[in-house]
Amino acid sequence: MNARIFALIVAILGMLVASGIPASNGRGAPLPTLSIISPTPNEVIGNGTPVAIVFAVTNFNLTDPGNGTSSPNSGHIDVFVDDALTAQTSVNTIVLPLPSGPHTIRLRLVTDNGSALNPDVTASVSVMVTGGPDSGTPGLSIVFPRGGALVGTDSTLSFQVTNFVLVAPGGPAGVPNDGHIQVYLDNASYAELTDDAPLHLNLKDGPHNVTLQLVDNQGGPLSPDVTASLYITVQALLGRVTPFDATPYLALANLLIGLGILAAIYRKLEVR
Amino acid sequence: MRPHPRPPMQRGKVRRVSTMLALVALLSLLGVSLSSSTAVAAAPSLTIVSPVDGAMIANGTPVLVDFRLANFAFVQPGQAGQIGSPNEGHANVFLDAQYVRLLTVVEPFSLALTSGAHTIRIQLVADNGTPLNPDVSASVSVVATHGPDGGVPHVTILSPTPLEATGHGLYVSYRIENFTLVEPRGQPNAPNEGHVQLLVLRDVVMEVTQYDPVLVVSLPEGDISITVRLVNNDNTALSADASSTVEIHVIASSSVSLPLVSNGGIALLLAFILVVLILRRRKLSAGDANARGGNP
Repeated sequence: MNARIFALIVAILGMLVASGIPASNGRGAPLPTLSIISPTPNEVIGNGTPVAIVFAVTNFNLTDPGNGTSSPNSGHIDVFVDDALTAQTSVNTIVLPLPSGPHTIRLRLVTDNGSALNPDVTASVSVMVTGGPDSGTPGLSIVFPRGGALVGTDSTLSFQVTNFVLVAPGGPAGVPNDGHIQVYLDNASYAELTDDAPLHLNLKDGPHNVTLQLVDNQGGPLSPDVTASLYITVQALLGRVTPFDATPYLALANLLIGLGILAAIYRKLEVR
Repeated sequence: MRPHPRPPMQRGKVRRVSTMLALVALLSLLGVSLSSSTAVAAAPSLTIVSPVDGAMIANGTPVLVDFRLANFAFVQPGQAGQIGSPNEGHANVFLDAQYVRLLTVVEPFSLALTSGAHTIRIQLVADNGTPLNPDVSASVSVVATHGPDGGVPHVTILSPTPLEATGHGLYVSYRIENFTLVEPRGQPNAPNEGHVQLLVLRDVVMEVTQYDPVLVVSLPEGDISITVRLVNNDNTALSADASSTVEIHVIASSSVSLPLVSNGGIALLLAFILVVLILRRRKLSAGDANARGGNP
Protein backbone atom coordinates (compact mmCIF):
# COMPACT_ATOMS: atom_id res chain seq x y z
CA MET A 1 0.00 0.00 0.00
CA ASN A 2 2.78 2.35 0.95
CA ALA A 3 4.70 1.41 -2.17
CA ARG A 4 1.64 2.24 -4.30
CA ILE A 5 1.17 5.58 -2.66
CA PHE A 6 4.85 6.29 -3.13
CA ALA A 7 4.66 5.32 -6.82
CA LEU A 8 1.61 7.57 -7.30
CA ILE A 9 3.36 10.52 -5.68
CA VAL A 10 6.44 9.96 -7.84
CA ALA A 11 4.26 9.81 -10.99
CA ILE A 12 2.44 13.00 -10.09
CA LEU A 13 5.72 14.76 -9.38
CA GLY A 14 7.09 13.51 -12.68
CA MET A 15 4.10 14.85 -14.57
CA LEU A 16 4.41 18.16 -12.80
CA VAL A 17 8.09 18.35 -13.65
CA ALA A 18 7.44 17.37 -17.26
CA SER A 19 4.67 19.89 -17.79
CA GLY A 20 5.45 22.66 -15.34
CA ILE A 21 9.16 23.34 -15.63
CA PRO A 22 9.22 24.24 -19.32
CA ALA A 23 6.18 26.45 -18.77
CA SER A 24 7.84 28.18 -15.89
CA ASN A 25 10.96 28.62 -18.05
CA GLY A 26 8.84 30.24 -20.76
CA ARG A 27 7.38 32.64 -18.27
CA GLY A 28 10.77 33.33 -16.67
CA ALA A 29 12.57 34.49 -19.83
CA PRO A 30 10.42 37.31 -21.18
CA LEU A 31 10.42 37.90 -24.89
CA PRO A 32 12.17 40.93 -26.40
CA THR A 33 9.97 43.90 -27.23
CA LEU A 34 10.45 46.89 -29.47
CA SER A 35 8.58 50.20 -29.50
CA ILE A 36 9.01 53.46 -31.38
CA ILE A 37 9.01 56.48 -29.07
CA SER A 38 9.43 59.19 -31.70
CA PRO A 39 8.06 60.20 -34.16
CA THR A 40 4.48 59.68 -33.11
CA PRO A 41 2.02 58.02 -35.53
CA ASN A 42 1.07 60.26 -38.47
CA GLU A 43 3.38 63.03 -37.29
CA VAL A 44 4.19 65.72 -39.85
CA ILE A 45 7.92 66.28 -40.26
CA GLY A 46 8.28 69.82 -41.56
CA ASN A 47 10.86 71.87 -43.43
CA GLY A 48 12.31 68.79 -45.09
CA THR A 49 14.27 67.97 -41.97
CA PRO A 50 15.61 64.44 -41.54
CA VAL A 51 13.41 62.13 -39.47
CA ALA A 52 14.89 61.16 -36.09
CA ILE A 53 13.56 57.76 -35.05
CA VAL A 54 13.92 57.03 -31.35
CA PHE A 55 13.01 53.55 -30.18
CA ALA A 56 13.19 51.41 -27.05
CA VAL A 57 13.83 47.70 -26.65
CA THR A 58 13.41 45.42 -23.69
CA ASN A 59 15.10 42.10 -23.00
CA PHE A 60 17.39 42.59 -25.93
CA ASN A 61 21.02 43.60 -26.14
CA LEU A 62 21.86 45.85 -29.05
CA THR A 63 25.18 44.91 -30.57
CA ASP A 64 27.00 46.10 -33.64
CA PRO A 65 26.14 43.99 -36.69
CA GLY A 66 28.73 41.37 -37.47
CA ASN A 67 30.31 41.13 -34.04
CA GLY A 68 29.89 37.38 -33.98
CA THR A 69 27.54 36.97 -31.05
CA SER A 70 24.88 34.33 -31.50
CA SER A 71 22.16 34.83 -28.96
CA PRO A 72 18.42 35.06 -29.44
CA ASN A 73 18.44 38.03 -27.11
CA SER A 74 21.07 40.14 -28.83
CA GLY A 75 21.50 41.63 -32.24
CA HIS A 76 20.63 44.82 -34.04
CA ILE A 77 17.77 46.62 -35.76
CA ASP A 78 16.91 46.51 -39.44
CA VAL A 79 15.24 49.72 -40.59
CA PHE A 80 12.76 49.56 -43.45
CA VAL A 81 11.33 52.64 -45.15
CA ASP A 82 8.28 51.85 -47.27
CA ASP A 83 9.24 48.14 -47.10
CA ALA A 84 12.76 48.73 -48.41
CA LEU A 85 15.69 47.91 -46.14
CA THR A 86 17.31 51.28 -45.61
CA ALA A 87 19.65 51.02 -42.64
CA GLN A 88 20.85 48.99 -39.70
CA THR A 89 21.46 50.35 -36.24
CA SER A 90 22.56 49.23 -32.83
CA VAL A 91 21.84 52.49 -31.01
CA ASN A 92 18.46 53.79 -29.93
CA THR A 93 18.27 56.68 -32.39
CA ILE A 94 18.61 56.71 -36.14
CA VAL A 95 18.23 59.77 -38.37
CA LEU A 96 16.89 59.28 -41.89
CA PRO A 97 16.60 61.97 -44.58
CA LEU A 98 13.35 61.25 -46.41
CA PRO A 99 11.73 62.91 -49.44
CA SER A 100 8.39 64.70 -49.23
CA GLY A 101 5.40 62.42 -48.94
CA PRO A 102 3.92 59.76 -46.71
CA HIS A 103 6.29 57.10 -45.43
CA THR A 104 6.05 54.01 -43.28
CA ILE A 105 9.07 53.27 -41.13
CA ARG A 106 9.36 49.73 -39.80
CA LEU A 107 11.95 48.48 -37.33
CA ARG A 108 12.73 44.82 -36.82
CA LEU A 109 14.90 43.10 -34.23
CA VAL A 110 17.30 40.69 -35.83
CA THR A 111 20.08 38.52 -34.53
CA ASP A 112 23.67 39.18 -35.42
CA ASN A 113 23.43 37.02 -38.52
CA GLY A 114 20.49 39.09 -39.76
CA SER A 115 17.75 36.56 -39.19
CA ALA A 116 14.48 37.66 -37.61
CA LEU A 117 13.62 36.59 -34.11
CA ASN A 118 11.04 33.88 -33.53
CA PRO A 119 8.42 35.21 -33.05
CA ASP A 120 9.16 38.23 -35.19
CA VAL A 121 9.56 41.49 -33.22
CA THR A 122 8.77 44.64 -35.20
CA ALA A 123 7.39 48.12 -34.71
CA SER A 124 6.28 50.59 -37.32
CA VAL A 125 5.13 54.17 -37.59
CA SER A 126 3.68 56.24 -40.43
CA VAL A 127 4.84 59.82 -40.92
CA MET A 128 4.31 62.61 -43.42
CA VAL A 129 7.38 64.51 -44.60
CA THR A 130 6.93 67.92 -46.17
CA GLY A 131 9.26 70.59 -47.43
CA GLY A 132 6.92 73.17 -45.97
CA PRO A 133 6.42 74.00 -42.33
CA ASP A 134 4.81 71.38 -40.10
CA SER A 135 2.15 73.79 -38.91
CA GLY A 136 0.58 77.13 -39.72
CA THR A 137 -2.00 78.14 -42.29
CA PRO A 138 -0.76 78.79 -45.84
CA GLY A 139 -1.13 82.38 -46.98
CA LEU A 140 -0.76 84.22 -50.28
CA SER A 141 -0.72 87.94 -51.00
CA ILE A 142 0.03 90.15 -54.00
CA VAL A 143 2.67 92.73 -53.18
CA PHE A 144 2.53 94.70 -56.44
CA PRO A 145 0.62 96.10 -58.26
CA ARG A 146 -2.19 97.22 -56.02
CA GLY A 147 -5.79 96.41 -56.83
CA GLY A 148 -7.31 98.75 -59.44
CA ALA A 149 -3.93 99.92 -60.67
CA LEU A 150 -3.39 101.29 -64.17
CA VAL A 151 -0.44 99.46 -65.71
CA GLY A 152 1.27 99.29 -69.06
CA THR A 153 1.08 96.36 -71.43
CA ASP A 154 4.40 95.20 -70.03
CA SER A 155 4.24 94.75 -66.26
CA THR A 156 5.30 92.50 -63.41
CA LEU A 157 3.33 91.01 -60.56
CA SER A 158 5.12 90.38 -57.27
CA PHE A 159 3.64 88.12 -54.58
CA GLN A 160 4.46 86.55 -51.23
CA VAL A 161 3.70 83.10 -49.88
CA THR A 162 3.67 82.16 -46.20
CA ASN A 163 3.61 78.78 -44.46
CA PHE A 164 3.86 77.05 -47.82
CA VAL A 165 6.79 75.95 -49.93
CA LEU A 166 6.77 76.05 -53.74
CA VAL A 167 7.90 72.86 -55.46
CA ALA A 168 7.62 71.44 -58.94
CA PRO A 169 4.21 69.89 -59.70
CA GLY A 170 3.76 66.14 -59.80
CA GLY A 171 5.00 65.20 -56.34
CA PRO A 172 3.14 62.85 -54.00
CA ALA A 173 -0.43 63.71 -53.10
CA GLY A 174 -1.59 64.82 -49.70
CA VAL A 175 1.62 66.53 -48.63
CA PRO A 176 0.68 69.48 -46.42
CA ASN A 177 2.01 72.98 -47.00
CA ASP A 178 3.80 72.13 -50.22
CA GLY A 179 2.77 72.66 -53.84
CA HIS A 180 2.77 75.40 -56.45
CA ILE A 181 0.82 78.45 -57.64
CA GLN A 182 -1.79 78.35 -60.38
CA VAL A 183 -2.25 81.68 -62.17
CA TYR A 184 -5.55 82.58 -63.83
CA LEU A 185 -5.92 85.53 -66.19
CA ASP A 186 -9.51 86.58 -66.76
CA ASN A 187 -10.64 83.23 -65.33
CA ALA A 188 -8.53 81.24 -67.79
CA SER A 189 -5.47 79.28 -66.77
CA TYR A 190 -2.40 81.36 -67.54
CA ALA A 191 0.70 79.93 -65.81
CA GLU A 192 2.07 77.72 -63.03
CA LEU A 193 4.63 79.18 -60.67
CA THR A 194 7.11 77.11 -58.70
CA ASP A 195 9.30 79.86 -57.35
CA ASP A 196 9.14 83.35 -55.92
CA ALA A 197 10.26 85.19 -59.05
CA PRO A 198 7.85 87.98 -59.99
CA LEU A 199 5.41 87.10 -62.77
CA HIS A 200 5.95 88.98 -66.03
CA LEU A 201 2.68 89.97 -67.70
CA ASN A 202 2.20 91.17 -71.25
CA LEU A 203 -1.44 92.10 -71.62
CA LYS A 204 -3.58 93.90 -74.15
CA ASP A 205 -5.43 97.09 -73.36
CA GLY A 206 -8.41 96.99 -71.11
CA PRO A 207 -9.49 95.66 -67.70
CA HIS A 208 -8.10 92.35 -66.51
CA ASN A 209 -8.43 90.07 -63.55
CA VAL A 210 -5.42 88.16 -62.25
CA THR A 211 -5.92 85.42 -59.66
CA LEU A 212 -3.22 83.39 -57.91
CA GLN A 213 -4.19 80.16 -56.20
CA LEU A 214 -2.13 77.84 -54.02
CA VAL A 215 -2.59 74.26 -55.20
CA ASP A 216 -1.21 70.92 -54.06
CA ASN A 217 1.13 68.69 -56.04
CA GLN A 218 -1.78 67.27 -58.02
CA GLY A 219 -3.08 70.73 -58.93
CA GLY A 220 -6.02 70.61 -56.54
CA PRO A 221 -6.96 73.57 -54.37
CA LEU A 222 -6.01 73.57 -50.71
CA SER A 223 -8.64 73.16 -48.04
CA PRO A 224 -9.58 75.87 -47.26
CA ASP A 225 -8.90 77.49 -50.62
CA VAL A 226 -6.07 80.05 -50.63
CA THR A 227 -6.21 82.66 -53.39
CA ALA A 228 -5.20 86.25 -54.04
CA SER A 229 -6.85 88.26 -56.77
CA LEU A 230 -6.72 91.76 -58.21
CA TYR A 231 -8.24 93.81 -60.99
CA ILE A 232 -5.97 95.94 -63.13
CA THR A 233 -6.46 98.09 -66.17
CA VAL A 234 -3.92 97.92 -68.95
CA GLN A 235 -3.23 100.98 -71.03
CA ALA A 236 -0.72 100.98 -73.86
CA LEU A 237 2.02 103.58 -73.73
CA LEU A 238 1.34 104.19 -70.08
CA GLY A 239 4.06 106.37 -68.67
CA ARG A 240 5.05 107.80 -72.07
CA VAL A 241 4.96 111.58 -72.31
CA THR A 242 3.02 112.83 -75.37
CA PRO A 243 3.69 116.56 -75.70
CA PHE A 244 1.05 117.17 -78.41
CA ASP A 245 -1.41 114.65 -79.77
CA ALA A 246 -2.36 115.82 -83.29
CA THR A 247 -4.68 112.93 -84.01
CA PRO A 248 -8.00 114.80 -83.58
CA TYR A 249 -6.73 117.78 -85.55
CA LEU A 250 -5.56 115.57 -88.37
CA ALA A 251 -8.97 113.92 -88.43
CA LEU A 252 -10.62 117.32 -88.75
CA ALA A 253 -8.15 118.30 -91.47
CA ASN A 254 -9.00 115.10 -93.36
CA LEU A 255 -12.65 116.02 -93.24
CA LEU A 256 -12.05 119.54 -94.47
CA ILE A 257 -9.72 118.44 -97.24
CA GLY A 258 -12.24 115.83 -98.31
CA LEU A 259 -14.90 118.48 -98.55
CA GLY A 260 -12.47 120.66 -100.51
CA ILE A 261 -11.86 117.83 -102.96
CA LEU A 262 -15.56 117.32 -103.41
CA ALA A 263 -16.00 121.04 -104.02
CA ALA A 264 -13.16 121.08 -106.52
CA ILE A 265 -14.61 118.12 -108.39
CA TYR A 266 -18.08 119.73 -108.40
CA ARG A 267 -16.65 122.98 -109.76
CA LYS A 268 -14.81 121.08 -112.44
CA LEU A 269 -17.95 119.32 -113.49
CA GLU A 270 -19.83 122.63 -113.43
CA VAL A 271 -17.22 124.29 -115.65
CA ARG A 272 -17.60 121.55 -118.25
CA MET B 1 36.19 31.71 47.61
CA ARG B 2 34.47 29.90 44.82
CA PRO B 3 32.05 31.99 42.82
CA HIS B 4 28.46 31.06 42.81
CA PRO B 5 27.10 29.68 39.54
CA ARG B 6 24.34 31.89 37.97
CA PRO B 7 20.85 30.49 37.90
CA PRO B 8 19.52 29.33 34.43
CA MET B 9 16.97 32.15 34.20
CA GLN B 10 19.66 34.76 34.69
CA ARG B 11 21.93 33.08 32.12
CA GLY B 12 19.18 33.30 29.47
CA LYS B 13 18.67 36.97 30.17
CA VAL B 14 22.37 37.67 29.80
CA ARG B 15 22.42 35.81 26.49
CA ARG B 16 19.52 37.87 25.11
CA VAL B 17 21.16 41.08 26.17
CA SER B 18 24.44 40.11 24.54
CA THR B 19 22.61 39.11 21.35
CA MET B 20 20.85 42.46 21.24
CA LEU B 21 24.12 44.29 21.79
CA ALA B 22 25.71 42.34 18.95
CA LEU B 23 22.79 43.22 16.64
CA VAL B 24 23.00 46.89 17.58
CA ALA B 25 26.74 46.85 16.88
CA LEU B 26 26.19 45.14 13.54
CA LEU B 27 23.47 47.56 12.52
CA SER B 28 25.56 50.55 13.55
CA LEU B 29 28.47 49.19 11.54
CA LEU B 30 26.18 48.65 8.55
CA GLY B 31 24.83 52.15 8.98
CA VAL B 32 28.30 53.61 9.06
CA SER B 33 29.30 51.71 5.94
CA LEU B 34 26.11 52.73 4.12
CA SER B 35 26.47 56.37 5.06
CA SER B 36 30.12 56.36 4.06
CA SER B 37 29.26 54.78 0.68
CA THR B 38 26.59 57.47 0.12
CA ALA B 39 29.12 60.16 0.86
CA VAL B 40 31.65 58.64 -1.55
CA ALA B 41 29.24 58.29 -4.53
CA ALA B 42 29.14 61.82 -5.94
CA ALA B 43 26.02 63.06 -7.70
CA PRO B 44 25.85 62.67 -11.50
CA SER B 45 26.55 65.81 -13.48
CA LEU B 46 26.05 66.85 -17.08
CA THR B 47 27.54 69.79 -18.97
CA ILE B 48 27.06 70.95 -22.53
CA VAL B 49 30.46 72.02 -23.79
CA SER B 50 29.43 73.15 -27.25
CA PRO B 51 27.64 75.18 -28.48
CA VAL B 52 27.85 77.86 -25.84
CA ASP B 53 24.72 79.56 -24.67
CA GLY B 54 23.52 82.18 -27.17
CA ALA B 55 25.72 80.87 -29.98
CA MET B 56 24.79 81.57 -33.57
CA ILE B 57 24.62 78.50 -35.81
CA ALA B 58 25.35 80.02 -39.19
CA ASN B 59 25.12 79.10 -42.86
CA GLY B 60 22.23 76.70 -42.35
CA THR B 61 24.49 74.01 -40.95
CA PRO B 62 23.40 71.48 -38.33
CA VAL B 63 24.54 72.16 -34.80
CA LEU B 64 27.07 69.77 -33.30
CA VAL B 65 26.33 69.24 -29.60
CA ASP B 66 29.23 68.14 -27.43
CA PHE B 67 28.68 67.29 -23.77
CA ARG B 68 30.48 65.89 -20.73
CA LEU B 69 29.21 63.41 -18.20
CA ALA B 70 30.47 62.69 -14.68
CA ASN B 71 29.51 60.05 -12.10
CA PHE B 72 27.10 58.45 -14.50
CA ALA B 73 27.48 55.55 -16.88
CA PHE B 74 25.58 55.27 -20.13
CA VAL B 75 24.07 51.86 -20.76
CA GLN B 76 21.67 50.66 -23.35
CA PRO B 77 18.19 50.58 -21.86
CA GLY B 78 16.18 47.40 -22.03
CA GLN B 79 19.00 44.87 -22.02
CA ALA B 80 18.17 41.30 -21.16
CA GLY B 81 18.34 40.76 -17.42
CA GLN B 82 19.18 44.38 -16.78
CA ILE B 83 19.21 45.52 -13.14
CA GLY B 84 19.20 49.26 -12.85
CA SER B 85 21.77 51.14 -10.84
CA PRO B 86 21.30 54.67 -9.51
CA ASN B 87 24.29 55.99 -11.42
CA GLU B 88 23.62 54.48 -14.78
CA GLY B 89 21.09 55.02 -17.49
CA HIS B 90 20.89 57.04 -20.65
CA ALA B 91 20.04 60.57 -21.82
CA ASN B 92 17.09 62.06 -23.62
CA VAL B 93 17.59 65.03 -25.94
CA PHE B 94 14.88 67.60 -26.54
CA LEU B 95 14.88 70.28 -29.21
CA ASP B 96 12.37 72.96 -28.19
CA ALA B 97 10.62 70.40 -26.00
CA GLN B 98 10.40 67.88 -28.84
CA TYR B 99 12.02 64.52 -28.13
CA VAL B 100 14.71 63.99 -30.76
CA ARG B 101 17.44 61.66 -29.47
CA LEU B 102 18.13 58.85 -27.03
CA LEU B 103 21.82 58.83 -26.17
CA THR B 104 23.71 55.79 -24.96
CA VAL B 105 27.21 56.92 -25.89
CA VAL B 106 29.10 60.00 -24.80
CA GLU B 107 29.99 61.48 -28.13
CA PRO B 108 28.96 64.63 -30.05
CA PHE B 109 25.73 64.47 -32.02
CA SER B 110 24.28 66.82 -34.63
CA LEU B 111 20.83 68.34 -34.93
CA ALA B 112 19.31 70.01 -37.98
CA LEU B 113 17.83 73.38 -37.09
CA THR B 114 15.42 75.69 -38.83
CA SER B 115 16.05 79.43 -38.81
CA GLY B 116 15.38 81.12 -35.51
CA ALA B 117 15.96 80.63 -31.80
CA HIS B 118 16.08 77.12 -30.35
CA THR B 119 16.69 75.44 -27.01
CA ILE B 120 18.55 72.14 -26.77
CA ARG B 121 18.12 70.18 -23.54
CA ILE B 122 19.77 66.96 -22.45
CA GLN B 123 18.33 65.06 -19.50
CA LEU B 124 19.80 62.05 -17.70
CA VAL B 125 17.32 59.28 -17.00
CA ALA B 126 17.45 55.90 -15.32
CA ASP B 127 17.33 52.64 -17.22
CA ASN B 128 13.55 52.59 -16.93
CA GLY B 129 13.33 56.06 -18.46
CA THR B 130 12.44 57.99 -15.32
CA PRO B 131 14.34 61.20 -14.55
CA LEU B 132 16.93 61.11 -11.80
CA ASN B 133 16.11 62.51 -8.40
CA PRO B 134 17.15 65.29 -8.25
CA ASP B 135 16.81 65.96 -11.95
CA VAL B 136 20.07 66.23 -13.90
CA SER B 137 19.81 68.11 -17.14
CA ALA B 138 21.64 70.76 -19.13
CA SER B 139 20.29 73.12 -21.74
CA VAL B 140 21.63 75.68 -24.14
CA SER B 141 19.95 78.31 -26.31
CA VAL B 142 21.13 78.95 -29.84
CA VAL B 143 20.07 81.00 -32.86
CA ALA B 144 20.16 79.31 -36.25
CA THR B 145 20.45 81.22 -39.50
CA HIS B 146 21.20 80.58 -43.16
CA GLY B 147 23.31 83.71 -43.16
CA PRO B 148 26.93 84.13 -42.17
CA ASP B 149 27.81 84.39 -38.48
CA GLY B 150 29.46 87.77 -38.74
CA GLY B 151 29.72 90.98 -40.69
CA VAL B 152 27.28 93.77 -41.36
CA PRO B 153 24.73 93.18 -44.15
CA HIS B 154 25.26 95.53 -47.07
CA VAL B 155 23.82 96.03 -50.53
CA THR B 156 25.13 98.13 -53.42
CA ILE B 157 23.38 98.86 -56.72
CA LEU B 158 25.76 98.17 -59.59
CA SER B 159 23.43 99.08 -62.43
CA PRO B 160 21.92 101.48 -63.41
CA THR B 161 24.49 104.07 -62.47
CA PRO B 162 23.46 107.38 -60.86
CA LEU B 163 21.69 109.83 -63.22
CA GLU B 164 21.78 107.30 -66.02
CA ALA B 165 19.25 107.90 -68.79
CA THR B 166 17.30 104.73 -69.46
CA GLY B 167 14.22 103.49 -71.22
CA HIS B 168 11.04 102.34 -69.56
CA GLY B 169 12.42 98.91 -68.76
CA LEU B 170 15.81 98.06 -67.30
CA TYR B 171 17.74 95.44 -65.39
CA VAL B 172 18.72 96.34 -61.84
CA SER B 173 21.82 94.51 -60.66
CA TYR B 174 23.20 94.65 -57.15
CA ARG B 175 25.84 93.13 -54.89
CA ILE B 176 24.93 91.73 -51.48
CA GLU B 177 27.44 91.17 -48.69
CA ASN B 178 27.12 89.37 -45.34
CA PHE B 179 23.52 88.45 -46.02
CA THR B 180 21.86 85.31 -47.37
CA LEU B 181 18.66 85.45 -49.40
CA VAL B 182 15.96 82.98 -48.35
CA GLU B 183 12.38 82.71 -49.51
CA PRO B 184 10.05 84.34 -46.99
CA ARG B 185 7.71 81.62 -45.78
CA GLY B 186 6.55 83.08 -42.51
CA GLN B 187 9.53 81.63 -40.69
CA PRO B 188 11.03 83.54 -37.74
CA ASN B 189 13.55 86.27 -38.38
CA ALA B 190 17.16 85.25 -38.10
CA PRO B 191 20.37 87.26 -38.25
CA ASN B 192 21.85 87.99 -41.67
CA GLU B 193 19.12 86.29 -43.66
CA GLY B 194 16.05 87.62 -45.45
CA HIS B 195 15.12 88.86 -48.90
CA VAL B 196 15.30 91.89 -51.18
CA GLN B 197 12.66 94.54 -51.70
CA LEU B 198 12.87 96.65 -54.83
CA LEU B 199 11.28 100.07 -54.66
CA VAL B 200 10.48 102.50 -57.48
CA LEU B 201 10.11 105.95 -55.99
CA ARG B 202 8.70 104.86 -52.62
CA ASP B 203 6.59 101.91 -53.67
CA VAL B 204 7.63 98.31 -53.20
CA VAL B 205 7.24 96.82 -56.64
CA MET B 206 9.03 93.52 -56.12
CA GLU B 207 10.19 91.12 -53.44
CA VAL B 208 12.88 88.80 -54.72
CA THR B 209 15.32 86.22 -53.44
CA GLN B 210 17.69 86.25 -56.39
CA TYR B 211 21.22 87.50 -56.71
CA ASP B 212 20.86 87.86 -60.50
CA PRO B 213 19.77 91.15 -62.08
CA VAL B 214 16.07 91.91 -61.79
CA LEU B 215 14.05 93.19 -64.77
CA VAL B 216 11.91 96.20 -63.98
CA VAL B 217 9.40 97.35 -66.59
CA SER B 218 6.89 100.14 -67.11
CA LEU B 219 8.97 102.71 -65.31
CA PRO B 220 7.33 106.12 -65.18
CA GLU B 221 8.68 108.98 -67.24
CA GLY B 222 11.14 111.47 -65.78
CA ASP B 223 13.51 111.54 -62.82
CA ILE B 224 12.87 108.62 -60.52
CA SER B 225 14.67 106.75 -57.76
CA ILE B 226 15.24 103.02 -57.55
CA THR B 227 15.99 101.48 -54.15
CA VAL B 228 17.18 97.99 -53.27
CA ARG B 229 16.60 97.16 -49.62
CA LEU B 230 17.47 94.11 -47.50
CA VAL B 231 14.67 93.09 -45.14
CA ASN B 232 13.94 90.40 -42.59
CA ASN B 233 11.73 87.38 -43.25
CA ASP B 234 8.70 89.30 -41.98
CA ASN B 235 9.42 92.28 -44.31
CA THR B 236 10.66 94.50 -41.51
CA ALA B 237 13.81 96.55 -42.00
CA LEU B 238 17.07 95.25 -40.59
CA SER B 239 18.17 96.74 -37.29
CA ALA B 240 20.91 98.58 -39.18
CA ASP B 241 19.25 99.72 -42.40
CA ALA B 242 20.81 98.08 -45.45
CA SER B 243 19.65 99.74 -48.64
CA SER B 244 21.01 101.40 -51.74
CA THR B 245 19.29 104.05 -53.86
CA VAL B 246 20.09 105.38 -57.28
CA GLU B 247 18.49 108.32 -59.14
CA ILE B 248 17.89 107.76 -62.85
CA HIS B 249 16.21 109.57 -65.71
CA VAL B 250 13.66 107.67 -67.75
CA ILE B 251 13.57 109.08 -71.26
CA ALA B 252 10.36 109.43 -73.25
CA SER B 253 10.11 106.94 -76.02
CA SER B 254 8.29 107.57 -79.28
CA SER B 255 4.66 108.22 -78.61
CA VAL B 256 3.55 107.69 -82.23
CA SER B 257 0.33 105.74 -82.34
CA LEU B 258 -1.55 104.05 -85.15
CA PRO B 259 -4.43 106.59 -85.25
CA LEU B 260 -1.91 109.38 -85.51
CA VAL B 261 -0.06 107.73 -88.37
CA SER B 262 -3.19 106.78 -90.29
CA ASN B 263 -4.83 110.16 -89.90
CA GLY B 264 -1.67 111.95 -90.92
CA GLY B 265 -1.18 109.72 -93.97
CA ILE B 266 -4.76 110.15 -95.18
CA ALA B 267 -4.53 113.92 -94.67
CA LEU B 268 -1.40 114.07 -96.80
CA LEU B 269 -3.01 111.98 -99.55
CA LEU B 270 -6.16 114.07 -99.60
CA ALA B 271 -4.16 117.27 -99.58
CA PHE B 272 -2.19 116.02 -102.59
CA ILE B 273 -5.41 115.17 -104.46
CA LEU B 274 -6.83 118.59 -103.64
CA VAL B 275 -3.71 120.33 -104.85
CA VAL B 276 -3.76 118.36 -108.09
CA LEU B 277 -7.40 119.19 -108.62
CA ILE B 278 -6.80 122.88 -107.93
CA LEU B 279 -3.80 122.99 -110.26
CA ARG B 280 -5.73 121.25 -113.04
CA ARG B 281 -8.62 123.63 -112.55
CA ARG B 282 -6.30 126.59 -112.83
CA LYS B 283 -4.75 125.08 -115.92
CA LEU B 284 -8.18 124.61 -117.46
CA SER B 285 -9.17 128.13 -116.51
CA ALA B 286 -5.98 129.48 -118.08
CA GLY B 287 -6.66 127.44 -121.26
CA ASP B 288 -10.19 128.82 -121.50
CA ALA B 289 -8.95 132.39 -121.04
CA ASN B 290 -6.35 131.93 -123.77
CA ALA B 291 -9.00 130.54 -126.09
CA ARG B 292 -11.30 133.49 -125.45
CA GLY B 293 -8.41 135.99 -125.97
CA GLY B 294 -7.35 134.54 -129.32
CA ASN B 295 -10.89 134.21 -130.70
CA PRO B 296 -13.20 136.62 -128.96
